[in-house]
Amino acid sequence: MGDGEREGPTMTDAKDHDAHAVTKVTPPGRVVALTGADGFLGRNLIGLLEDDDRVSRIVALDVERPATAGRKTRFYKVDLTQPRVDARLAEIFASEQVDTLLHMAFLSSPTHASAWAHELESVGTLHVLNACRERPVHKFVLWSHTILYGASPRNPNFLPETHPLRGHSESRFLRDKIEAEQVVASFARSSPGTLVTVLRLAPILGPTVKNYLTRYLGRSMVPTVMGFDPLMQFLHEVDALAAFKLAVMRDIPGVFNIVGDGVLPLSTVIHLTGRIGLPIPHPVMYPIVSALWTAQLSEAPPTFVDYARWLCVADGDKALRELKFRPAFTTREAVLDYAHSQRMRDAHLLRTTP
Amino acid sequence: MARKVLGNDPFGGDSPKPATASAKKPVPPAKKSAAAAKKGEKKPAVTEEAPATTAAPAPAPAPAPAPAPASPSPSMEKAAGAEVEEPSLESVIAQLDALLDQARDPAESRPLLDRLASRLKALTQPEEERALAPAPAAASVLDDEPFDAARELLGSDYYLRRWGQTAIRDRSEEVDDFGLDPEYARRWQPVWDLLYDRWWRVEVEGIENVPTTGRVALVANHSGAIPLDGIMLATALRKEHPGARPLRWLAEDFIFHFPFAGAYLNRLGAVRACQENAERLLRKDACLALFPEGVKGIAKPFRERYQLQRFGRGGHIKLAIRTGTPIVPVTIVGAEETYPMLFQSGRLSKMLGLPFVPITPTFPLLGPLGLAGLPARWKIVFGEPIAMDAYRPEQSEDIVLVNRLNEKLRETIQGTLDRLLRARQSVFKG
Repeated sequence: MGDGEREGPTMTDAKDHDAHAVTKVTPPGRVVALTGADGFLGRNLIGLLEDDDRVSRIVALDVERPATAGRKTRFYKVDLTQPRVDARLAEIFASEQVDTLLHMAFLSSPTHASAWAHELESVGTLHVLNACRERPVHKFVLWSHTILYGASPRNPNFLPETHPLRGHSESRFLRDKIEAEQVVASFARSSPGTLVTVLRLAPILGPTVKNYLTRYLGRSMVPTVMGFDPLMQFLHEVDALAAFKLAVMRDIPGVFNIVGDGVLPLSTVIHLTGRIGLPIPHPVMYPIVSALWTAQLSEAPPTFVDYARWLCVADGDKALRELKFRPAFTTREAVLDYAHSQRMRDAHLLRTTP
Repeated sequence: MARKVLGNDPFGGDSPKPATASAKKPVPPAKKSAAAAKKGEKKPAVTEEAPATTAAPAPAPAPAPAPAPASPSPSMEKAAGAEVEEPSLESVIAQLDALLDQARDPAESRPLLDRLASRLKALTQPEEERALAPAPAAASVLDDEPFDAARELLGSDYYLRRWGQTAIRDRSEEVDDFGLDPEYARRWQPVWDLLYDRWWRVEVEGIENVPTTGRVALVANHSGAIPLDGIMLATALRKEHPGARPLRWLAEDFIFHFPFAGAYLNRLGAVRACQENAERLLRKDACLALFPEGVKGIAKPFRERYQLQRFGRGGHIKLAIRTGTPIVPVTIVGAEETYPMLFQSGRLSKMLGLPFVPITPTFPLLGPLGLAGLPARWKIVFGEPIAMDAYRPEQSEDIVLVNRLNEKLRETIQGTLDRLLRARQSVFKG
């Protein structure tokens, strides 16, 4: 609601926007705050929202200033692992009149600093939600992952949003994110005044994104589990950004799987990226990965071997039906797009990425 | 033009908009080509301008794997530099814009986009013909202009079909939603044909009971310690059915726990047995085979052959009622003698994490060759379809009804089994 009324003044204000930005009146467009603003998604979303006339101000919250911050962006140095950060966040929300909050302060790859990651992801989400209780926002958008469902031979081929999050309980990376989802779900129940949208993104691939997956597929020999060839599902980085923009612009609460169309067997993904698969029997795969992870030579802890054995594919129908989100790239196109940039990097044609 | 088309929509109702927005950043060429390929489908008004004005049509840039070393810019620039002569082009673009605006509503957009695509094909067809017509082609050759024949070839459908796929020869690049790789399955067909025709000499009865179109559930008895009945059923439908219906069958969980078997059968068309998968397949009007006995059916000892086990908890009946799917009872005779299970190895199965490890006369003694089993003669009988549209979807929760239907179905199949076994003269000669 209010979307229609808002659009009118915004279009006219866009021309003499500078005057409005200087004098601090109630902004006619949306004020979007992002936590984790210097992450891949945050950085690029700031760039996209800078160009959008319906967003009058962007509040970037992170420990580093994102390079894409422009005229509309105000940066606040906020560290979610600090104990009194909720009061500071509430203060910022009030002074900037934030109406939409994108909570994206999550790690895109597993880390060895799991205690810090726990403070940032699980406890940090609590801080953010406390700030939202103190000074309510109109809409809260959470970045989540389809890998939280967990890979299992008992999964149906397409996991609906109602499927329980059964990610590996020994994985701190998954557990922190599942905890974050749980507290957000209870916040959504207890705060009917705030629209809560949870976007569960399939693993992101693309020419510029970097995460554990791009590093895994970027190895010259890609380890796989012998005798297992699960169907994989990816999301192109552009679609990931598009989904968040859609969630900012449309007031549609709920949990949505954001996934690329189609699936590919892992072996085909490795073929498409021009790599060589290295099949390892699963009884030795877990100890090997565990040793490599301890030695900091592996992209992910041994719990991630499950995803190379079994299915973890989500059903994107609800996002199409309710959020009206349709991905522009299929899983295969995302892989190809990633593979081409990777080939250029291999040939040292592409050194710097934005 | 590109700006105009995209600018019309303040929010980019469809997702490609952020693609162009983020493309402002230094873009690796690969991304550009993929984005261009995408745009070629979705916003063709932009790219189609080029062939409209040049004599040699520069085909839309090939999707990502095209090995063209240079970017397609020279000919495109030429096209952009040339003046737009056709007066109708503007009106065509306006029409396409209107269509695109309609297409923004995602619920409507699939058919609209299809219409758009066919419309564009119709529009570009005369252009190509003109380009191929002798006069302008001769002129370009006579002009001694460097003629980009290779680029034209790279953009052709034929090229994409034949060489456009990177280094993958033995399998197709795409699988369907449930993991079936048609190319891979085709490579294995000769093996199944050999077993079907020569080894088991399968005889089929009543295949016309399987409808040619629409969803249908084939409910069959499960037998033989090594369950190849799903594959044989698929082979029977492919070879004998007038519509050569492709069959998906539901396989037990444990196959997917185990290395090789799960991945392999999944590429051939097996799907993990669960309600969600079955419902999704049936709603896509698939022909789906179910073995309600499950593991109990294949793990029973040889002395209990052809005695139907419990038919699950009637999940297949609930599914059929919910989706309004007719059930065709299928009876398979011969598989039990193919793999007579002598005994089960409890210790081995515990070690491997399998529900049972069959010891048959040929397996595991003869290794993989033992999978072919004994040459018992098979007979597959397709019974009269049982319509389910008389029931309302809510009745799938009516346990009494479900049990009654389930028992009736089980009796039908057991009756056919008994009839076939009485009529059978010899296990191996049929």
